[in-house]
Amino acid sequence: MYWVSIVTEAGIFAILALGLDVVWGWCGDFDLAFYGYLALGSYMTFVLSIGKPTAPVKYIIGWHLPVPLAIVLADIVVVALAAIIGAIALRNLRDIYFAVTTLGAVSALYLIVQNYTPLFDGYNGVYGLINPGQAALRLTYNGYRIVLLFVVLGILFLAYLLVQRLSRSPFGRMLRSVREDERAAAAYGRTVFTAKYRAYLFGAALAGLTGGLFAIFISAFNPSAWTPQELLVIYAAILVGGRGNPRGVIVGVFVVYIGFIELTRFLPSPASRPEFGPSMRQILIGLLIILMLRFRPEGIFRERPGVDRVPGPGWRLGPFRAPAAAASPGSVTAGPAVAVGTSTEAPPRAAQPADAGEGLSARGSAREGHAADDGSGQ
Amino acid sequence: MGTFLVTVGIGLATAAILSLSAVAFTLEYAVSRIANFAHGEFLTIGAYAAYSGQTFFHQSVPAAALIAAAAGLVAALVLNAGLIEQFRGRTGITVFIATLGASLILQNVLVIAYGAANVSYTFPQGGLHHVGPFLWTTSDIEVIFSALAVAGLIYLLLQRTRFGKAVRAVSQDRALAQVSGIPARRIVMQTWALAGAVSGFAGFVLADTIGTFSPTLGFSFLLLTITATVAGGIGRPYATFGGALIVGIVLQIAGTYTSSAYELVFAFLLLVLLMLFRPNGVFVRPSATAVRA
Repeated sequence: MYWVSIVTEAGIFAILALGLDVVWGWCGDFDLAFYGYLALGSYMTFVLSIGKPTAPVKYIIGWHLPVPLAIVLADIVVVALAAIIGAIALRNLRDIYFAVTTLGAVSALYLIVQNYTPLFDGYNGVYGLINPGQAALRLTYNGYRIVLLFVVLGILFLAYLLVQRLSRSPFGRMLRSVREDERAAAAYGRTVFTAKYRAYLFGAALAGLTGGLFAIFISAFNPSAWTPQELLVIYAAILVGGRGNPRGVIVGVFVVYIGFIELTRFLPSPASRPEFGPSMRQILIGLLIILMLRFRPEGIFRERPGVDRVPGPGWRLGPFRAPAAAASPGSVTAGPAVAVGTSTEAPPRAAQPADAGEGLSARGSAREGHAADDGSGQ
Repeated sequence: MGTFLVTVGIGLATAAILSLSAVAFTLEYAVSRIANFAHGEFLTIGAYAAYSGQTFFHQSVPAAALIAAAAGLVAALVLNAGLIEQFRGRTGITVFIATLGASLILQNVLVIAYGAANVSYTFPQGGLHHVGPFLWTTSDIEVIFSALAVAGLIYLLLQRTRFGKAVRAVSQDRALAQVSGIPARRIVMQTWALAGAVSGFAGFVLADTIGTFSPTLGFSFLLLTITATVAGGIGRPYATFGGALIVGIVLQIAGTYTSSAYELVFAFLLLVLLMLFRPNGVFVRPSATAVRA
């Protein structure tokens, strides 16, 4: 049962990491607000499904919806919040400015949730979503947890397929071209803000979904469950697995989660120092981030260069495909994907610097790109 | 009106601490072109060093302040040599993420060393004094004067010494400074040392003013520091003092009239407004903002 629980948790976080990778890995936006989306998704799932609060407990809404519907509605709320934060943070702000703005946003959200009790009962948080549907499915507790594991893995697989498709799609390549050189992408007619914004909302939707699953998994949620530092574990996992490579991201999450949880279980945890174990874990996460960035920023699995789909029965999925096209990204002849033009091709791997995908400068801006575009059109 | 002015007075004390922290942050940015996310930990280290040292020196406040500054200095040197310089030539956001990792490490080392619970100094705060319309404790007054003194020192150091000239040259263009015979690496190290010492001292006064503190002291102050820095214009040491003044007073007023728990929410709102309308600081006319954030 212990393993079922750990794998379920890792699976849930893998879905979150897939969403985060769209924002960070593909678009190059280092977002610190992301854990807030998970938290909001979780909170909303609770308040939409556990019914009215009783006396000292206070929270909003308090409906009694079926859980899947609650998750969907919660996800809509999350995307709405992401739409606001993204509209502010993505328009002009890049790099550190973007990161700081999103950190400010999640800090503000955190403080409000913590201090304004009528919202989600402040410090105490919300609880009471204990194995929804267990009775209806006539399962034992253990049986239910195993079913949950398979549901999570199934959703993870669907999310993976979706992200993988998207990664290969013209949209995915557009995002990467925007990441590599915003001005060049804008000059080729890409609307930088819209592209990034759509990707951001997609990522947030995955985070909200994760929040809903997380609500079912832990059946209680309060502010101590989502301090902004938690997100760094996910970033570490993406760095380990390979930024921009969906398969790598999933592997990274499982490696970091299971590896770390299992390894750090054997750390000494003296009774007089209950904080020793968790702190040691955080220190190791910090070290992992620094060492990966320093020595292998591309992770275990490199991001694969963008390739136009080879025309024909090309619906087979998976990253190991069309090696011939990968060697020469420009040699595309015909097919549905050609319409996006060669401008969205990511450059061949060899031409990229070690820090692939970090070429955005703080000065790069869509507006300047558009100005250049207009100039050439006249 | 009376309450309002007292609030402004407390805001001035907050602004004084904020300006110390923000000027150090901006100096780090000026020479290394990176936003140091582990900056808050310099403050925390300073605060804890003074906490450890307070009993050795018989509750002497100047001695504690010196220990805090020294600890901050060492921490900044170690971080610069061990991390920032190792990442030379990498993009700003990469180094930013690395400092984020460093921040996580330092915070948790402090948790292991001192525990996660709140601790506090045993220095006397001193009585309340009416200074003009303001109402300050003795330590508030000390904080404000020490901030002014540090501001003056930094001004003299940057404007009147060879070191200051070198710092300004390095912050303009490190490679160019290097080829003109300025030992850029050493200047950067010295600037970090200066910034670390100022941060350590700021951490000590911050902890002393708040009363109790924990290993997240500096981290939770970081967002305010960044807001003040952006308000002044990042990388511009003198304007940073102005930015800190604005942020300190605005927050104190907003916090007093709503709830102090929401101070950081206002800091965020202020940050967003600044980012959207004046990314290069309030002291630069928008038309002059050639470099958009």
